[in-house]
Amino acid sequence: MKHHHHHSHMLSCSEVYTHLCDNLDSQLDTESCRKIKEHLKECDNCSALLDSLKKTVYLYRNYPTPALPANIRSELFAVIKIGKEKSKKLSRH
Amino acid sequence: MKELSDIDHQLIAKIKAGDERAFSTLVQHYEQTVWGFAFKLCRDKEKAEESYQDTFINVYRKIDQFDGRSKFSTWLYSIVAHNCMMKHRKRKLDSLLESLDDAPDGDDPQTQKQLASWNDTPIEKLMNGELKEQLNHAIQQLPDDYKMVFVLRDLEGRTAEETAKITKLSVSAVKSRLRRSRIFLRQQLHEFMTP
Repeated sequence: MKHHHHHSHMLSCSEVYTHLCDNLDSQLDTESCRKIKEHLKECDNCSALLDSLKKTVYLYRNYPTPALPANIRSELFAVIKIGKEKSKKLSRH
Repeated sequence: MKELSDIDHQLIAKIKAGDERAFSTLVQHYEQTVWGFAFKLCRDKEKAEESYQDTFINVYRKIDQFDGRSKFSTWLYSIVAHNCMMKHRKRKLDSLLESLDDAPDGDDPQTQKQLASWNDTPIEKLMNGELKEQLNHAIQQLPDDYKMVFVLRDLEGRTAEETAKITKLSVSAVKSRLRRSRIFLRQQLHEFMTP
């Protein structure tokens, strides 16, 4: 594993931490992003952290949603109909 | 989700006037969105079904309260979120989650273990029963507001501003909850994902 580089012109791990966790997909083209990119090239820990954060989101995005149950809409309208009939009866009394 | 066009605003006006067919059209238009969001929050098919039903009943009964100042989807998401959260026991993990704001110390051997690279097995191959269980277990540990923010921002792709409106949090609170949720979930999956 590569060691951390703490040259004065380079950002530290704690300086990039919040940014990495906030912006998983940001385009690294501004000056501060360029510095972060430089840091990532040199730091295995931060690269591994960013990669695993991206994978975490990817896993949840790819968790399959079951198909909409077949009768769910007809059941909804049946419940609404019953509710309306009940309220009609109540208003008659 | 496709937003309602101007023509569809007429649909809402018709529903307000008691047009049943207009309501049915609205249900058809939004049911996949409601179902998907409810399932992602509840992580349970039966609860998602109840939330689907409760949400559209709320829409039917409370459509007069929708004044058109916010997007219809924002209003709808907030109803789904409320219904799902009512079915979920609130948990308190706030102080633990706040501790995730600090960067890990890379020189600490315990932390080194936490920073080990995740394996490169294609994720599609990993999506088995055990991983699904782990994913559900991890997300269910998040407090409701954190879970809502994670699902809305990272899974539903809503903006920070819209998420703030739906959850009634500030934009900065949305951002910090999203960050902590991502780190927390990553930590929960770490052991499973490292070789």
